[in-house]
Amino acid sequence: MRKVSKLMNIFSIGFELAKKDFKLRNEGSYLGVLWYLLDPLLLFLILIFLRGFIIGGDSNDYPIYLLSGLIIFNFFRHSTSTSINSITGNANLIKSMKIESEIFIISRVIQSIFSHFFEIILLCIFMLYFGYSLNWLIFYPLIFLVLVIFIMGLSFLLSTLSVFIKDLNNLWLVLTRLLWFSTPIFYYVDELSFIYLLNIFNPIFYFISIFRNLILDHMVPRLITVLIISNTSLVILIIGLLIFSKYKNKFPELLS
Amino acid sequence: MKSISIKNLGKRFRRSFRGDEGILYRLFSIFKTKEKFEVLRNISFDLDSGETVGVIGRNGSGKSTLLKTIAGIYLFDEGSMVINGSVDYLSGFGHGLQKRLTMRENIYLMGLLRGLCKERIEELFEEIVDFSGLRKFLDSKVYQLSTGMLNRLNFSIIIHCLINKNSEILLIDEAFSSGVDLKFKEKFVLKMEELIASGSSVVFVSHNLRLIDRYCKRVIWLEDGRVIMDGNSEEVIAKYKGSNNDGR
Repeated sequence: MRKVSKLMNIFSIGFELAKKDFKLRNEGSYLGVLWYLLDPLLLFLILIFLRGFIIGGDSNDYPIYLLSGLIIFNFFRHSTSTSINSITGNANLIKSMKIESEIFIISRVIQSIFSHFFEIILLCIFMLYFGYSLNWLIFYPLIFLVLVIFIMGLSFLLSTLSVFIKDLNNLWLVLTRLLWFSTPIFYYVDELSFIYLLNIFNPIFYFISIFRNLILDHMVPRLITVLIISNTSLVILIIGLLIFSKYKNKFPELLS
Repeated sequence: MKSISIKNLGKRFRRSFRGDEGILYRLFSIFKTKEKFEVLRNISFDLDSGETVGVIGRNGSGKSTLLKTIAGIYLFDEGSMVINGSVDYLSGFGHGLQKRLTMRENIYLMGLLRGLCKERIEELFEEIVDFSGLRKFLDSKVYQLSTGMLNRLNFSIIIHCLINKNSEILLIDEAFSSGVDLKFKEKFVLKMEELIASGSSVVFVSHNLRLIDRYCKRVIWLEDGRVIMDGNSEEVIAKYKGSNNDGR
């Protein structure tokens, strides 16, 4: 019982922190949340424009195919790259009082969820514009929940590592950029091509393709895919939490 | 009843560990010898509940490390430590205030981080604002306040959190020395005395020997991470002053 109430407490403080941070990031600029959308929106428009040159395909589904991939990957990149600094960035607090450092990681992830919400709205607008039905989006929260579990685990892992390795965030930016190009976000892949085989080990690819199948083809994912992806996410979360809790008591000494 | 009981406590830091190094350094440093540096050695003392003890010593003698170890922020390497009751650690202020939030938001944020629930903060809110004497600035951003005003705000938040939590053990690390005006300092000291008198056990680190003498009957003198003397405050302070005059 006490563990549950402690967990609730951590989440509620994390939520409050996220709200404050979100507000801070948006105040003082009239564009506010539009800044969140600018990056995916710009990329979307550029890639739509370039489509004829690089892909040549003329599938009518391409805009939504592209945008759904963009926003899921964007959520992944945004949340991991902000939470990677969540422990090192709050070194002052962690060193000066007894505090559950999980709070900081959770708050960064929640903050990314807030901004993802706006990306989903953007997707809805484009889906309506291109004449898709929004009904199938009802299942999205389920996919998203698993994605959040996966990202939570990864964030715990990365933020712990970054206490030891200062430039991990730079490395992570490069790695996610590589992953962005190797994931079929703006191009199509044929099954059994080299890139497809490569993506069998890419968790983000599963999330993106489940989501695309759902909204474009109204296809519910196969059970085996669901099992693979939810188990992988849980395992990542457990590994992340184990490593985090092994080192979290040493953070005050290790941080500079 | 004992509120703190410490036996042969030892604490080491890794001297060669550098927290701010990149991945290449990390890879090469696997081959480096790991040099240990003893901060605390063989510390033993008991603290009765309700007792106030002062800790004195030169810079780098391990005073803050000792408090942080008792507070559970640092882990210890040797010995044993038994603590009965909840512990609160209070160090130099200025941590945690978010410069770009308003004073109102900062009060909520700090309260939450220090373990108050939202409803409790709402109840204490007026009192905190009145105590700080900064009602005029309630909705201005904290970066617009002067350093002294920031200290006042921080003091007010922390002291009310402490009074509300009413922890059995208080660890105070140089909390009295900071740039606030005399009037506020008096107010703060009064609140602090109230807190100490409420029956908490207090471990009190300061370089201000007059303050130590005023609040503590017993003083522990640390040097190089070891207890040099533990006893009646007047005797220990006299010896400590004497050692400083030796020119060591």
